[in-house]
Amino acid sequence: MTIPPTFDGLNPFDDPVDRMLAEIALSLQLPPSLRRQVDGRYEAVRTRLESTDAFAGAIEHFYPQGSMAIDATISTRGTDDEYDLDIVSQLGGRFRQMQPLAILLELEAALKDYPVQSIRRQTRCVTLNYADNMHLDITPALRAYGTLDRESFITHAKGPAQSVDDRFVDMNAYGFARWYQGQTPIERRLAKAFDEHWRSLDGLLAKDAAEVDEIPDATHFLVKNTATLALQLIKRARNIAYEGMAGRIPPSVMLSYYAGLAAQPNMRLTDMVIRITAWIVRDIAQASLNRQTLHVANPVNSDDVFTDRWPESIAQQDAYASHLKVMIKGLEEMRDHKLSADAIGEWLRKHFGDRVVTKAADRMGRNIGETIQNARQRYTRTGGLLIPTKGVGVAAAAALNPAVTARAHTFFGKKI
Amino acid sequence: MSVGVPLSVDEQIVRMKTAWPTFAVHNVSRPDQSARWTGTCTPQFARYRLEVRYSFREFPRVRILSPALIRLPENVEGQLPHVYPPADDPTLCLFDPTANQWDWSMPIADTIIPWSLDWLACYEFWLMTGTWTGGGRHAGDRIEPTQPKDEP
Repeated sequence: MTIPPTFDGLNPFDDPVDRMLAEIALSLQLPPSLRRQVDGRYEAVRTRLESTDAFAGAIEHFYPQGSMAIDATISTRGTDDEYDLDIVSQLGGRFRQMQPLAILLELEAALKDYPVQSIRRQTRCVTLNYADNMHLDITPALRAYGTLDRESFITHAKGPAQSVDDRFVDMNAYGFARWYQGQTPIERRLAKAFDEHWRSLDGLLAKDAAEVDEIPDATHFLVKNTATLALQLIKRARNIAYEGMAGRIPPSVMLSYYAGLAAQPNMRLTDMVIRITAWIVRDIAQASLNRQTLHVANPVNSDDVFTDRWPESIAQQDAYASHLKVMIKGLEEMRDHKLSADAIGEWLRKHFGDRVVTKAADRMGRNIGETIQNARQRYTRTGGLLIPTKGVGVAAAAALNPAVTARAHTFFGKKI
Repeated sequence: MSVGVPLSVDEQIVRMKTAWPTFAVHNVSRPDQSARWTGTCTPQFARYRLEVRYSFREFPRVRILSPALIRLPENVEGQLPHVYPPADDPTLCLFDPTANQWDWSMPIADTIIPWSLDWLACYEFWLMTGTWTGGGRHAGDRIEPTQPKDEP
């Protein structure tokens, strides 16, 4: 009888390199305590808008887009604890006859005196800046009828006065999120291991039932699959690489597209980061060979071009490809045990930032020390040391050395 | 811990072969009841080559043959913690000899080798963070009362 393969994913806490990367990703993610606030804030903004004369009955949909819609949120460019979240407010009624700038001004006016630290109208959205460093972008959109679900036109207007550059831009963030979710189904073993790890760190008790319905794919797991974890790491590495540099950076939605494209079940986290990154490198190389800039469009709407503002030149895309090649080389060396621990620490700090890597290494170091002192570690026949986690998978268990069990002992000796 | 009947070097060899297939035995001397093992391991991040020298005359000695151990000058644990000198050829100190944690009745396959992996895992995080989290004490440190261990 053939047993069908299961795609539960691998526990990223089984392998030391995967575990370090997972711990880094964990340090970058929106913490569960803030995640719970997001849902409340999102509802509060909608309620506020609907209570105004201008927006009453005019909001057709109010839904997350971008990283929030695919649960890939990490701290904002150059920061360790600021988060940008995006909401689309699909409007109907009289808004369908209004110009982009007028809609943005109306939205700004409706949110005047909203209890946040500051409110800022931007070219395509209105941003609410909360005191705890969360930034919520609300993007007005008008449904493009006769097209796929929620394909819309979003406002583009710099202001303060109307300009010939003002326009509506075609987009389908909702369709893209659905496509991404279809490409990256939940890997239960990974999701469970991560969820338990998060809870042990965050001191969470039983899941908050009220939270469940608010999360985009109706599951309480904040981390659902290896591809999304890898995407978070790739986004962070981009943020660090471009820190302090003016101008546009490789867009997150483009990186998300590649994560969706390259996603494959039951892959190690390290290998998944390499796979996605290598895919981008190949596409850039192909575009550069043809003397073209990279063109990536929304897979559910070819008019929604993800690369419309980056890359601006072949040199710009080649520079990013060079950065990605360095990443691939480093990750391969780590995976193949060719780097010393201090070189790994240095490499990770360079690519993911000092604070998050120090935090991850401290957490792992404490965990391994406690495990060894309490003789809970396990060994593999080839000389590996495993730290048990609640979600230890079958593959890891099968590799264990059945002949040796851990015993308590006291390191002694001298300081030389 | 009481001292049991010493194992012969042949018994140690059989046990090592069973438990650690990546280790090979060399220089076996039955008259001296001594042997040397070398092998590779990858406790966490890097791959190491180890040597274990065993005889009835002294405690087993473990050396890291490659790569060279990295020192952290100015570290509170010393530039390399929990080793025996000389500084240019250190051997790992894996158990407290005053606490009867090891004697010749114990298979090195069950003690010295896994404890070496423990040492290397702690060493790697010590390199990354500057903190030795594996516990232990250095010769001359005050002996603290033993803490109860959690059940696995």
